[in-house]
Amino acid sequence: MHLTREEERVYEGDCGWANQTCIRILVRLGELFGAEKLIPIDSAHVSGVSYKTLGDAPIEFLRALADAGARVKVRTTLNPQSLDSHYLGKKLQKDLQEPQLDILRQFERMGLTQSLTCTPYYLQRPARGLHHAWAESSAVVYANSVLGAWTNREGGPSALAAAIIGKTPDYGIHRTENRRPNVTVKVETKLRNETELGALGIFLGKTLGDKIPAIKGLPNTPKDMLKQLCAAIATTGMTNMFHLDSTSRTRETEKIGVDSHQIKHAIEELSTASASQPDLVFLGCPHCSLNEMKRIAQLAEGKRVRVGTEFWVCTSCHVRQMARDYVKKIEKAGGHVLDGVCTVVSWTEKLGIKTIMTNSAKTAYYAPTLNKAEPLLAPLQDCLKAGFQG
Amino acid sequence: MSAKPISFLGGVDPADGKIIEKKHDLCGACIKGKVLVFPHGHGSTVGSYVMYSLSKKGLGPAAIINQTADPVVVVGAIIANIPMIDQVDIEKIRTGDTVEVDGCKGVARILKRRES
Repeated sequence: MHLTREEERVYEGDCGWANQTCIRILVRLGELFGAEKLIPIDSAHVSGVSYKTLGDAPIEFLRALADAGARVKVRTTLNPQSLDSHYLGKKLQKDLQEPQLDILRQFERMGLTQSLTCTPYYLQRPARGLHHAWAESSAVVYANSVLGAWTNREGGPSALAAAIIGKTPDYGIHRTENRRPNVTVKVETKLRNETELGALGIFLGKTLGDKIPAIKGLPNTPKDMLKQLCAAIATTGMTNMFHLDSTSRTRETEKIGVDSHQIKHAIEELSTASASQPDLVFLGCPHCSLNEMKRIAQLAEGKRVRVGTEFWVCTSCHVRQMARDYVKKIEKAGGHVLDGVCTVVSWTEKLGIKTIMTNSAKTAYYAPTLNKAEPLLAPLQDCLKAGFQG
Repeated sequence: MSAKPISFLGGVDPADGKIIEKKHDLCGACIKGKVLVFPHGHGSTVGSYVMYSLSKKGLGPAAIINQTADPVVVVGAIIANIPMIDQVDIEKIRTGDTVEVDGCKGVARILKRRES
């Protein structure tokens, strides 16, 4: 890789250990992918915030960086944590809370915004056509495909390193030639809801590897539904983006057809719970938009959460503040709106939750291993029916 | 050696280094000290930190061989100091073979076939 004189100084350690460590991560990453230089980024989004998924060893890595004076050079948002102070924090043991707070403190010392969301694009839309360094795979696909911002799927540590250096290696999706579609996907059935979009993503992620599809047959799909496709395609694959524009030109020869059987099969394969009454009904993976909060509130109005069932809606603190009236309606019905938290990386198994019903294919995919719970995958309306009486 | 992609978050137990994804062909196998061969990574970007944690506990793989490099696995290998090479025709390698990995030259050699 060609480094500028300034970058070389950082690489040699003239700007301290933290900056040297970070630029070395970026250079080694860039060299493996054949990047020739580092390019400036406009924003970063960092994953690896939940104590549950991070564990103890990486906390020391974060602390060492913060101790050595690492500070982010661009606007940098953070993924959700494992518990909130209002609800889960009160139900879980103290020894799970202290390390979580410690992680947040280290990020704060490095200047990261305490945004705690997997949908940072609701806080501030990433600039179109500019380069970014985002981890959180669902947000990466959404940024590239729906918002026209450019970011590779960074690992948690490389997104942090990029934020601290203010640059990322110039490879992959940062290069125009790599953003073109190289396979056509024809959706031959009408997808009726967000769960079926998620099922399409699960299937495509497994099938495509790192290819970029031009997806035909999804005209005028609402963004909230596309969000489920983004989350799922990144769960089972490496795909960074897709094209929906029917005019996007493809050089490809390969074509893949998707019919209703493949969608149905993907949903059935993920929906393994035998109990019809779930312990937890969970909406908000990825975090709910204002529009989704509104829809849930409307459907919850005048109803009561079933006895013996938990009902959680996850969103960002930012959206929660805009959705105050909707939050009241959901809470009045007995539901819990958890902000800054992700159910998948929270300690559900310590609360006795063995079955999780959700509209998110991504959650259903991870629940058996990360939550030790059997998932039920169904669209939002069915989730609400199962969660509420009356 | 697996023909299936691996997500380190959710796919590998950080407590013991065993593969826990139920439908995975290596489910139940321990990656500690092994040359781990798989087509590519997928899924969560927290996987890099899981690799770091595994290595700190001495549960990490000795080396990684991939068909296609995934940034999440690459970054994990960098911070965990795990030698890793990509663009290898992994179908030539079988579970049980003895393999030498030269991370500097980017070369893998099969030293000994598994006795069948």
